[in-house]
Amino acid sequence: MAFMRKQAVVEALDINTITPDDAEKRITAGVKKYATNEANFAAADANTPYLGHIVGMGIESSNLADITMSIERQFLTKMTTKVPLSEGSAEFKLTAGELGKLRILDGQDALAATPGLSVKMLMDLGHMNKNDAYLEGVMSFAYVMACGDGWKMADALKKMAGKAEKLAGSERAEALANLKTLIAQAKDYDGLLADASKLAASKSKAYQNDKGGFDALNSELGLTLDKIKGVSAGGDAAALAKLRGEEAEIRTRLKMSAAKLRVSQEISEAAGKRRAIEDKKVAEVRAALSAAVSSAEKLS
Amino acid sequence: MPLEAEEVSALRFQWRLSRALVVPVSLVVAAVARLYFKYRLDPDIDRIRAEIWAKLDAHDGPVIWAANHLTLIDSFLVYWAVFPTSRLIEDRRIPWSTPEYTNYYKLGGPMQSALIRGLLYLCRCIPFLRGGEDAASESWRQKAFDKCAWVLSEGGAVFVYPEAGRSRSGWLEPKRPKDFLGKLALEVPSSKFLCVYLRSERQIATTACPPMGDTLRVVADLIPGVLPGETNPRDISQRLFDRLAELQQEWWKGSSMARNCAGNDVVDLKGGLLRENFSDDLTEADQEWMERHLTKREVAYLAEQGPANLFRTFWRFFCAKEACHKALGRAVIVVPNGAFHEIEIDLFRRKATHIPTGLQLDIRFTDDDEDKLHCVAVLRGGFIGDEDAEGDILWSVGEVPAGTSPGAFVRDLALDMIASANEDIGTASRLALTENSGLPGVLWRGEPQDWSLSLSHSGRFAAASFMIS
Repeated sequence: MAFMRKQAVVEALDINTITPDDAEKRITAGVKKYATNEANFAAADANTPYLGHIVGMGIESSNLADITMSIERQFLTKMTTKVPLSEGSAEFKLTAGELGKLRILDGQDALAATPGLSVKMLMDLGHMNKNDAYLEGVMSFAYVMACGDGWKMADALKKMAGKAEKLAGSERAEALANLKTLIAQAKDYDGLLADASKLAASKSKAYQNDKGGFDALNSELGLTLDKIKGVSAGGDAAALAKLRGEEAEIRTRLKMSAAKLRVSQEISEAAGKRRAIEDKKVAEVRAALSAAVSSAEKLS
Repeated sequence: MPLEAEEVSALRFQWRLSRALVVPVSLVVAAVARLYFKYRLDPDIDRIRAEIWAKLDAHDGPVIWAANHLTLIDSFLVYWAVFPTSRLIEDRRIPWSTPEYTNYYKLGGPMQSALIRGLLYLCRCIPFLRGGEDAASESWRQKAFDKCAWVLSEGGAVFVYPEAGRSRSGWLEPKRPKDFLGKLALEVPSSKFLCVYLRSERQIATTACPPMGDTLRVVADLIPGVLPGETNPRDISQRLFDRLAELQQEWWKGSSMARNCAGNDVVDLKGGLLRENFSDDLTEADQEWMERHLTKREVAYLAEQGPANLFRTFWRFFCAKEACHKALGRAVIVVPNGAFHEIEIDLFRRKATHIPTGLQLDIRFTDDDEDKLHCVAVLRGGFIGDEDAEGDILWSVGEVPAGTSPGAFVRDLALDMIASANEDIGTASRLALTENSGLPGVLWRGEPQDWSLSLSHSGRFAAASFMIS
């Protein structure tokens, strides 16, 4: 089966006939045209983020959907039978059926920030068999984000030190005051990376916000259902229809809120767990932070 | 329009009954807030109350309570926070409330509904109907206004939300005043405004109630209702909104949440990869790809614009979503990368909605030409600006010189812009860029600044924005 997409012709193959490593290579090759950082792309592995320019491939957010669609175009799967999520629901999930086009549904790719995480997503969704040996080498989404922030911080510190070095007089004094703060921030962040429980606590803020939002929406839904109950007794059809519309809207919001909550919960939990691959990546970024701090401290 | 004798008599009866039961009702309100919702008041509440009551004691006339509005139980919480039990005998000071009829008066089955109506009656409520433009709705609003004016003319107090509804952005916007309270003050010129800004520490969006167990902080002031020479309701309302906005700023100074939440995004319309999913003449697009980015409403709007505008309109949606994504990130609302459906853009009204939280943002296209789009989005912290008034957000869009890294260029562009906007800074070398949780920040004199810096680059262009409020 071939798909024509401008000049590119992609031959889709059954994802279960290849290894996770091969799937990863195909996924990486599929996004080549979107990568603006050629050097990082050339050295990309399972844990190279699609986005970002410091350690990432430099893909722009305007091409995020293209990454997902590129994966869909390349593989065939047996998870093709649409089953409604609940009776009468327009929403569906995919279960085992005939070999056909791979579909990644809305929100399923929320954590697929690297080729390795894309492969993990395909395993989680049942398109591929789970391969623990492969997943051992795939850094969790929480750590992709945490390390990415560390790289950005080290880069900012390095650049600031470079600028401050060239200044003189009062401008230099002010730049050094800023540099001192940057150094303190880098050290704080290094301390956060060093302690998985601290990192988990910091990531739980977003989770707590999302949880608060989800609970608040549930309260809104309860209130709207109470209003419907109240209006139903009066027989005001127009008011009832308006409230039913409100209810449907809140349920849509709740569904999105629940999906969002799952993501932030996963990040919060994963931030507290560290395997060899996360240790390795954390060590790399901590070394970069430490080097940037040392060189900046020589100036200040 | 004066009230009928029966209406006055009904109000007097409600007032008498409420007076008789004020102690148990107030204790129930406090107990529910404290024990059921587990809310805590500002640790400094005694000082705050003492200051407010010193001002109230010095004013013998009627009082219009005017507060920000974020949750459905704000009236109870403001009353609990401001009114100490020791003052419950001061009957005239206990405010009448104006709850929205559709929100409170038909809740649940007959028993529950009757119970709530009874409680609202004892809490001196005058039901209000904010929606509807028909004669009946207008007449309802006029009647409610007349009742409020009557209470004030009797030396009492009324509680009205000046924004006329819960703020969908979580921010009181002083540039959009409503006239109702100005009119009310003109009707009873001896009134003063009790301005209250109350918010729970973790209240981000508009919700039914603040998060359970949260601490409520409050700032308040008593200001004149009508100043000598004031005859225009808008002028009075504007003064009231301005004071509430000052109290809002004061509240945010003590908050751990970022006050300024804005974002930007630039799109290079000539970028080759942007055209990938469109036909060569840009009048058609890959429907599936499009639907991955747009909600059903957005797709419908896009279809209305016609094929000639398809390409530009699609990227306007995208540009606005990206700007909103960054503004929301400032409020620790993380929109996962690629979750384009979580943000819905209304290009006509220049509004965006974060669907899971219901938060509304303002959007504005500062650059919209053949080459590029640049959009700014503001959740809170200041005014986005429009044709009539300058906003609190500044931006700069530039072309990335050949051979220069767009990331480095946009950082220099941002610092130059900030330095040139503030005489005290003067030169960009006095500033530094920092990164916090993946969001760019600015350091000045060694201190992080809450300026909501946002950076973006796309193809040939780079753009930066920040807030000056």
